[in-house]
Amino acid sequence: MESSRAVRADLFDPASLASLGHVEIVARWVVDGFLNGLHRSPKKGFSVEFAEYRAYQPGDDLRFIDWKIAARSKKWVVKQFEEETNLRATIILDVSRSMAWSSAPAVLSKQRYAEQLVAALSLLLIRQRDAVGFIRYDDKLRTIIPPKARTKQWRRILHALEEDGAGLASIAPEALMQAARLIRRPGMVVLISDLLVEPAAVAEAVKMLRAVGHDVTVLHIMDPAERDLSLGGEAVFADPESGLEVTATVADVRAAYRTTVEEAIAEWRSTLQSTGAGYEVFTTDEPFGVPLRKAFAARQRLP
Amino acid sequence: MSFLEPLYLLLAGAAAVPLLLHLLRRRISLRVEFPAARYILRAERENSRKLKLRNFLLMFLRILAVLFIALAAARPVGRLIGSGHAPTAIAIVLDNSLSTSTIIDGAPLFRRLRAAALAAARHATPSDRIWLVTADGRVVGGSSSSVADAIQRLEPIAGAGDLPRAVTRAIGLVRAAGLTGRHVAVATDGQATSWRRTTSTPDVGVSVFVPAGNPPANHAVIVADARPTRWTPRGSVVARTLGADSATYRIAIGGSGSAARTLARGTAVADGEILVRAAPAERGWVAGSVELEPDELRGDDVRYFAAWIGAAPSVTVDPSLGTFVRTATDALVQSDRLRLGPDAAIVSADALTRLPALIVAPSDPVRIGAANRALERLGIPWRFGAARHETGTARESASGSLKLVDGATVSMRFPLTAQGEPTADTLARVGAEPWIVAGDRYVIIASPLDPSATDFPVRAGFLPWLAEAASQRLAGDAGIVLSATPGTRLRAPAGIQGVDDATGQPVPITNGEIVAPDRAGVYFMRRGSNKSGAVVVNGEPEESSLARLSPAALRARFDGRDVILTTDGERWASDAYTGSARRPLSTPILILAALVLLAEALIARGSGERSNRGTVKAAA
Repeated sequence: MESSRAVRADLFDPASLASLGHVEIVARWVVDGFLNGLHRSPKKGFSVEFAEYRAYQPGDDLRFIDWKIAARSKKWVVKQFEEETNLRATIILDVSRSMAWSSAPAVLSKQRYAEQLVAALSLLLIRQRDAVGFIRYDDKLRTIIPPKARTKQWRRILHALEEDGAGLASIAPEALMQAARLIRRPGMVVLISDLLVEPAAVAEAVKMLRAVGHDVTVLHIMDPAERDLSLGGEAVFADPESGLEVTATVADVRAAYRTTVEEAIAEWRSTLQSTGAGYEVFTTDEPFGVPLRKAFAARQRLP
Repeated sequence: MSFLEPLYLLLAGAAAVPLLLHLLRRRISLRVEFPAARYILRAERENSRKLKLRNFLLMFLRILAVLFIALAAARPVGRLIGSGHAPTAIAIVLDNSLSTSTIIDGAPLFRRLRAAALAAARHATPSDRIWLVTADGRVVGGSSSSVADAIQRLEPIAGAGDLPRAVTRAIGLVRAAGLTGRHVAVATDGQATSWRRTTSTPDVGVSVFVPAGNPPANHAVIVADARPTRWTPRGSVVARTLGADSATYRIAIGGSGSAARTLARGTAVADGEILVRAAPAERGWVAGSVELEPDELRGDDVRYFAAWIGAAPSVTVDPSLGTFVRTATDALVQSDRLRLGPDAAIVSADALTRLPALIVAPSDPVRIGAANRALERLGIPWRFGAARHETGTARESASGSLKLVDGATVSMRFPLTAQGEPTADTLARVGAEPWIVAGDRYVIIASPLDPSATDFPVRAGFLPWLAEAASQRLAGDAGIVLSATPGTRLRAPAGIQGVDDATGQPVPITNGEIVAPDRAGVYFMRRGSNKSGAVVVNGEPEESSLARLSPAALRARFDGRDVILTTDGERWASDAYTGSARRPLSTPILILAALVLLAEALIARGSGERSNRGTVKAAA
């Protein structure tokens, strides 16, 4: 059991894995490991395998008529295949200043963790011949890459990850709306953010995306210290993004803080699920395979 | 509860630290980046009431912990509630000296001391060991009831006793008992003269009960002597009183109480001396007393003396002694201080044939040989030497109180030489040589009583000296007077067969020792059926000084760490018995402090949460 896990990069400690190489290499390791761990099934496959026959209908593509059967039985039937890649996905990444924070040097920052995730997820989708688009935002839309299924698309996304960010606000609703504009027909939208924004505006944007048929998945990234306030002492706690300062003794507020965070997560979950969107919470010390699996599961739900 | 290191209580001031920290917690300078600060703010807002209560509780617990630690550092000792007391060896030292019989607030002070001691004794349990030690050195041990009975029967003695010694003895008793609880409970009036020495009490708890109140002004007779002891029949009583003002006195002899006959009355000035001369009609050994009007301390208003009273001795006078002796003798006879008769002789040495005799050196040197032969014949161990014509001055021995001979000029004498080691008194010397000596039924003077040899016969002291010599030295041995304070051990004179008090009750003689009775008075010694002396028991004069030590001074008389003074008899009684239950409380208080700190830690950390201060610094 241990040995099988050891060879799968998607189950490695993310900080250790990220230290081994460039995001491109790491993403490949993660995706390879992830794919090796999948069970084979018709729904999870992405080949062009034959599925069934049906009677020819006027307007059907003549390329799919099975001529051998037509010659033998004088009937025109059409081969039905599993759908080839035609999914259009857009990954939206929050690169505001709060994403650049980590609670300790040994812990990946939320942004770095999310970038690895973006690289792996986009590679996975492209390997399935899905079209992948990418949007980066902070207080403005920093990067907009329309969805494409080419291999070069992944390189573009990787380049985009190196661009500037760290703005003092997070315009997630605008980013979501931009995604809607990039995908004309129903597709998949994955939002990766620490969600330090007001839920109502985000929920409204998600609602609109859902209304036009997009499948929306929100991956909520948190530093472990943000989840359980595993700090100590007394200090003035300052939000680098909003400038908010709060004086507190950690020991005094820790329990209440955890309750509050759980309430906030429950609020996000409730709000997003009510719109039909998927919502998952991760901490930056979890292996990349976990969020990747959640995001890929969302893709598998789609036709 | 009391403290062995009370200065450490100042540490309690450190309790202000958590209070200040609590009040100043919003002035924190450490700034930490934390993107989810909004959740902290929300948590604080939503739980502000709970957090305030929690913070107050934490502050309270921290202050309590500091106070407990300060309290423990001060090394408190006290009784734990409901703990009873461990098996205890306890010695109650009850001051029954004369001064405790002083009446204060209408009752003798001793009653209060005794009541407190009784209460202390009755707290005893069968697992305790208990003793009563009195100022006069008596020790009673056993059950609480037997000790209580002894306390109940105890009365003040007529003297001071020795309280420091009693305490030392009490410490020895409780140490030897082998119990972990050891306590000495002292009930005393705190009289300064009773506590002159410091007693070491290193490992024994001591509690001292001194009733509140100031001692009254006191009148006392501090000296009462019969002078001389042998009255023939004339004598004098010398007394001295103590008091801030004058006092009426009465001198009585011949019995006790109302049976005594008043010899003299008068008024003594403050701190004055009384001298009364008398020639009572009583004969033999008589008891006498000098009394003052009663005051709050009755025991020292009376002081006793004893005297032997007899008729004037009868003498024959050798005509060869000359005019001065004859004239002096006539004068003494006329004043009834001597009688003419055969009892004793005043004789020139060469004519000496019998004793008792006042032997005068012969005026003719030729008669010295005959004189020495007469001395040898009567077994007198002195001899006259060759005449020495040189002028010298006579000096009485240090024991001579009347100084009647002092200063007499001696121009001729026959130096006296002792034969062997005579048991005699040298009454006077000229230079270094004996001039007047006295022995059993004889007195020898080494010069003729003539102005050509000495001016002593013409000096004023000659007549009383002659009367003194005749009455005290020649009239036989009437016995001796032993003066003692209560409880003193006296060596009984040889031949004494018994000692009786005034009512005829015998005082035991054990191994040749007489223990002076507790009651003041005159106790006569017997040889057979004859009185042959007296033991006069009076209290120590200093016992009449009722001034007390200050509490600090009295505390300093006990060289120990666990010493408590109180004016509350009930508390003393309970403390005395729970003295051993007064245990060091540092450990239980430290345990309480630890529990408080544990509670503080649990509350501070919440349910099983961990803090990691290093993370804050790293994040900062």
